[in-house]
Amino acid sequence: MNVTRILQFLSSRLSGRRLDWLLACVALILGLLPARALAPWTSDLSRVVAVPIVPMMHMGMVVRDRVRPARDVFDPRAPEVVSLEMAAERFRSLYEQARLRSEALEREAAELKGVRARLGPNGAELSTATVVGIDPTRRDGTVRINAGARNGIRADAAVIARGDVLVGIVSSDIGELFAEVIPVSRRSVSVRLYPDDPADANRNPADYPGTVLKPVEGGRWVGDIASNADLREGQIARIDDPRFGAAALGMRVGRVRRVMMNDQVPLARKVEVEPLVDLASERTVVVATEPQGTPR
Amino acid sequence: MRWSVYILAVLLAVAFDSSLGAVLEVSGAQPRLLPCVVVFALLAAPRGIAVRAAMLAGLVADLLSPAVRADGTQLVVIGPWVLGFALGSLAVVPLRSLLYRRNAIAGGFATLVFCMLAAVAFVMVWVLRILLTRDDSPAWWPGSGAGEVWIQTKSAMASAVLALPALWLLEKTRVAWGFSSAKKLVPGAARETA
Repeated sequence: MNVTRILQFLSSRLSGRRLDWLLACVALILGLLPARALAPWTSDLSRVVAVPIVPMMHMGMVVRDRVRPARDVFDPRAPEVVSLEMAAERFRSLYEQARLRSEALEREAAELKGVRARLGPNGAELSTATVVGIDPTRRDGTVRINAGARNGIRADAAVIARGDVLVGIVSSDIGELFAEVIPVSRRSVSVRLYPDDPADANRNPADYPGTVLKPVEGGRWVGDIASNADLREGQIARIDDPRFGAAALGMRVGRVRRVMMNDQVPLARKVEVEPLVDLASERTVVVATEPQGTPR
Repeated sequence: MRWSVYILAVLLAVAFDSSLGAVLEVSGAQPRLLPCVVVFALLAAPRGIAVRAAMLAGLVADLLSPAVRADGTQLVVIGPWVLGFALGSLAVVPLRSLLYRRNAIAGGFATLVFCMLAAVAFVMVWVLRILLTRDDSPAWWPGSGAGEVWIQTKSAMASAVLALPALWLLEKTRVAWGFSSAKKLVPGAARETA
């Protein structure tokens, strides 16, 4: 009797908006209940609701499979897959080839820019060349480059690597399409020894010790210095020799490897200098040919 | 409104969404028939039962979309879609006076509004649940709630497009739904004159 009264009371009170709000509150509470409170009964309720839907879903799935069938199983050994993989590899190689070529061209352009910036707009004519041959005997260390008379290259032109390192001089043996380059390490050069860190711009260049380097065995130079100037290992030798042309003046050629006492002349010292760059191991170089008639 | 017809339509719509609906998926946006059915009912049902009808459909949607927990078990959470559909219906019911109810385009617009609000409420309830319980996560976790709202928005737009033919078809079955069109006549001066 009491239950009926309570139900009657509730039904009279809970109608319209109130019932909606109550249901919404119940839904919110249910939605925020922890999993341990929901799992025991919501899954069962879900299964009960799914009972009438499952046959309809099954029919829908059959229609779906007809409309949009599942893809065939992937076979990695199928001929078309193998051919596609081979094509992909081929294009990957072509892509890498293009990338390497682009990288080489960028390096070449950077070298040219570096040399051009140093020489100025009215300086020597620059052309890049690839080292295509090395002296097989390695006796003189000469190399062959793929630029010759047709490229405007002349004898005694400076051969530059890595922006500002003088690595060789073009020999008089110049073909139409190639030229022989003599490594600078095989020539006597007049240099000044600069500190390894940037030189002081206010200091007179004559303050830096100068010497004439003479080639010795092992591709190095040796020079005598009579002054009491500061000599240290690691100093940079820069060209101070008008014979190599204005383009080469001031370029780096080597680094002081050893400073020794001179047994014959007690007040003088000897320096052993090694080249900064080995010409034979370079791939591309820049040849700076000065305009004809330029005084040397 | 005949509740039996409504419940049958809701079950059919859920079965469609769970199976054949995947065929209509475009760029990750799957249209849903269930909101179309609910909006059709909301546009014609008496105002007093509209929200309850929407909540019932939301309950079915909740019961048939379990979340997978970290331990691989499934968890059915009742509430997110119930509240989402309730919020959607609260927006659509006032729109009835502004829309031509039997027009499919108006129905499509109502479906879009309904779905977007339902999605926002759905994500809000789940975010609140994650913050409070920290013991389970929705299907879109560890993605963000905003990402889920965006996905649901795309789905809402697709549902709005689906609503055009769906509402046209449902309109053909209007008689079976038993919507009351009778109006209460009140005696007044004009009536007496007539």
